[in-house]
Amino acid sequence: MGTIVPRSLYLTASTRLQTQLLQSIPYRSLHTTHHLNIVKPFLLADIGEGITECQLIQWFVQPGARVEQFDKLCEVQSDKASVEITSPFDGVIKKLHYDPDDMAITGKPLVDIDIQSEITEEDEAKLAGGGDEEGAGSAVRGVEESIGEREIRVEGAAGVDVAEPAVKNPGSQPQPERRRSSGKQDHSSLATPAVRHLTKEMKVAITDVRGTGKDGRVLKEDVHRHVAQSTQQQPTVHTPMQKAREVNRKVPLTPVQTQMLKMMTRSLNIPHFLYTCATDVSSLTALRKTLNISASSPDQRLTQLPFILKAVSLAFQHHPLLNSSLDSTDPAKPQLMYKSAHNFGVAIDTPSGLLVPVIRNVQDLSIGDIAAQLRQLSEKARDNKLAPSDFGGASFTISNIGNIGGGVVSPVISEPQVAILGIGRSKIVPAFNEQGDLIKVEELVFSWSADHRIVDGAECARCAERVKKLLEEPGKMMVEMR
Amino acid sequence: MITLNRACTRARGCQHLLIARRRLSQSALDRLAQPVQSYISTSRDPYLNLSVEHYLLQKSAPESTVLFLYVNRPSIIIGRNQNPWLEVNLALLDPVPQSQPKTEPAGLENVDLVRRRSGGGTVFHDEGNVNWTVICPPKAFTRDKHAEMVVRALRSCGVERSRVNERHDIVLDQGERIADVDPDDTHLTPYTRRAGISEIKPLKVSGSAYKLTRQRALHHGTCLLSSPNLNIIPDYLHSPAKPHITARGVESVSSPVGNIVLSNEHFTNAVRSKFDGMYRSPKGTEHIEVGEDWLEHQAVKEGYAELKSREWTFLQTPQFTISTSADPAFTMDVELTVRNGAVSSGHLRRRGSAELVDLDKHSVGQRVHDIKSWPETLSHMFAGVDSAECGRLGAWFERMLPAQATRRRIAE
Repeated sequence: MGTIVPRSLYLTASTRLQTQLLQSIPYRSLHTTHHLNIVKPFLLADIGEGITECQLIQWFVQPGARVEQFDKLCEVQSDKASVEITSPFDGVIKKLHYDPDDMAITGKPLVDIDIQSEITEEDEAKLAGGGDEEGAGSAVRGVEESIGEREIRVEGAAGVDVAEPAVKNPGSQPQPERRRSSGKQDHSSLATPAVRHLTKEMKVAITDVRGTGKDGRVLKEDVHRHVAQSTQQQPTVHTPMQKAREVNRKVPLTPVQTQMLKMMTRSLNIPHFLYTCATDVSSLTALRKTLNISASSPDQRLTQLPFILKAVSLAFQHHPLLNSSLDSTDPAKPQLMYKSAHNFGVAIDTPSGLLVPVIRNVQDLSIGDIAAQLRQLSEKARDNKLAPSDFGGASFTISNIGNIGGGVVSPVISEPQVAILGIGRSKIVPAFNEQGDLIKVEELVFSWSADHRIVDGAECARCAERVKKLLEEPGKMMVEMR
Repeated sequence: MITLNRACTRARGCQHLLIARRRLSQSALDRLAQPVQSYISTSRDPYLNLSVEHYLLQKSAPESTVLFLYVNRPSIIIGRNQNPWLEVNLALLDPVPQSQPKTEPAGLENVDLVRRRSGGGTVFHDEGNVNWTVICPPKAFTRDKHAEMVVRALRSCGVERSRVNERHDIVLDQGERIADVDPDDTHLTPYTRRAGISEIKPLKVSGSAYKLTRQRALHHGTCLLSSPNLNIIPDYLHSPAKPHITARGVESVSSPVGNIVLSNEHFTNAVRSKFDGMYRSPKGTEHIEVGEDWLEHQAVKEGYAELKSREWTFLQTPQFTISTSADPAFTMDVELTVRNGAVSSGHLRRRGSAELVDLDKHSVGQRVHDIKSWPETLSHMFAGVDSAECGRLGAWFERMLPAQATRRRIAE
């Protein structure tokens, strides 16, 4: 926003600061135990889209300013989005890590906040930049503002956001309370820091306490009443155990993990069988070496994977069953769809976890085309720039963990596909040639998993052997190419 | 005070508004609290339309979803954090015809320059371009969601080449039909060429930009339907200063553009229909007209004034440095650093000499858009430069950072 609005906000913030400073003296004297002050860096959350940095446009706070949860901290801009970032909790701003116009890095500290209270482990996760959905950097989810008529009517000072809960008449409330609807999702928001501290002291879970304050807020009297009513009376002495952090950490699943959980749970229904076959890729490696000599730049070099993808696609011309998809939505009438397009999902290990983008119509692509697409996809994956259009619609999947290691692997089919191929790392092993001499051979193990409800062992084996022959004598691939 | 909506000419979608000066009327409040809202502007004023859009972002109920459609008279809209001297040929904006550089075909008169509040790059708006905005709660938001809605709307008008690309823009695929694709896939058309095969660049017809706050997510985009100005847009969006400026900030990514060739009305009806389909509201969505009477809302009025102010337009520019060193015609290098639209430092160096003349400290803080005469300003900035040189340098700076254009009276 422009020059006019932040000034008025700042004035309001500073007026509020003054009011709070005046009132903080009696407020603080209520505490007889040592108050835990932590200065924590608030990291710039992932704004989505694999954006690694964004430009800081303006600050709405300065060091020393007291902020409440959801106060606007700053506005940043990344390619197409301008985003307002709000404070994850109450505290005092200690340090701004960037000047306006600087590029702020995702995942690095944006601002240091002195947190004036104990925080739960959920809040810890927020400090680690836990917000991965689109939206402003404050990662508090599940806390809804109930907007009634009266809130919209509050126009306040020039152009102030209705969405901004922090702006209110200074001095109207004796304690820094926050407006919240009475959801029990975010426990820490139902009480002031003083009350939260008290619940910890009393060893009471705040969810157990019925709040009688505004919007169901828990007040000190409620905590005392709860303790009196329950049969457990806890001493107010701090034991070392109370302050110790638990060793186990509960974290929510990342989006990739959630997706994996869903997909693999479904895959449990598929009866997998495993067929492995060791392929001699020495000729292929020799061919690649020759081709790569004339490569125009290091990243134009061909790896094994494009050849393997093409070989599988050629084999599928003879074994279309493995490229089919099972429609079992009607258990009484399962249907099998033979797919003409060879859309191969290629499993890639990325910073966010396992992703399977799709190369479409491999049957129509040359090995060079496939290599180019693979390069593009892995660059995008590295930069976290994969788009939804890169996923979905795969008829078969290839999972290559060769850069990590592995011999035999038992890959899991993702429905509605009926088969999957896993490839490990090739290694040099001893073998015998036709003359009976001991020679060195580069062996790569192919692990095929197929759905035994559809594919029988023999069919899978035949397809696997065909792929093996194509790769052992790459000249054969030329004969089959269209 | 009862005011009838002056702009209401169509019977359908018309609503008589009760507006009291400065206070929000009860019906306006009710509307802003509706779970699904749809507005269309009858004004062509870009400052008003963007102010109303911002007002809707701030005042609509957090759980609501809002559609807003508007068309602007010819204007250039730069992103929140962009540099107008870098992105726009400001000299062309000068409404004084005789000092306007020649363009082929002839340029437009009175093109507005507006800095919007969302991010992204620079776009040219005119009556052949319809802007669409959707405001929704952050948890329902993805960058593609409403671009996909607009593509479905376009496809329902027969524009089967349209799709959403990786940058969340809407493009028209060129070339001949390649493959059959899933018709529900808004990211692929039968004409889409994969990378690796000889690529024909698709034509961009819509660019997206976003503004994300804690409670709301705004996505707006353009849609080039039938602009008569496609040929001269590149002239407006090409700044002569570009090779001489180093800056931080978001640069526009330029793409070849084209018209979809569709009427505004056909398009707006299709978008509304898709919006209604996605967000079926129990009462049916009423499409409310927005006009100049909305300036009577205090927040809109203040936002309007801010957008029109030269301070907002020019002083929100991130830091940049302009230098004559790339231009071989001079005997001296002058470099100026501009921060928040005002000169913060600079120096002058005669080529071949190591000696630097620093910027005179009285010139620090000189707002670039307030400069009346570059030769005169330069003579104040650097000591020991004769008037002939100031004249030459001044003429160069006048071309790069035009003074007259930025002083133009903003059309009411």
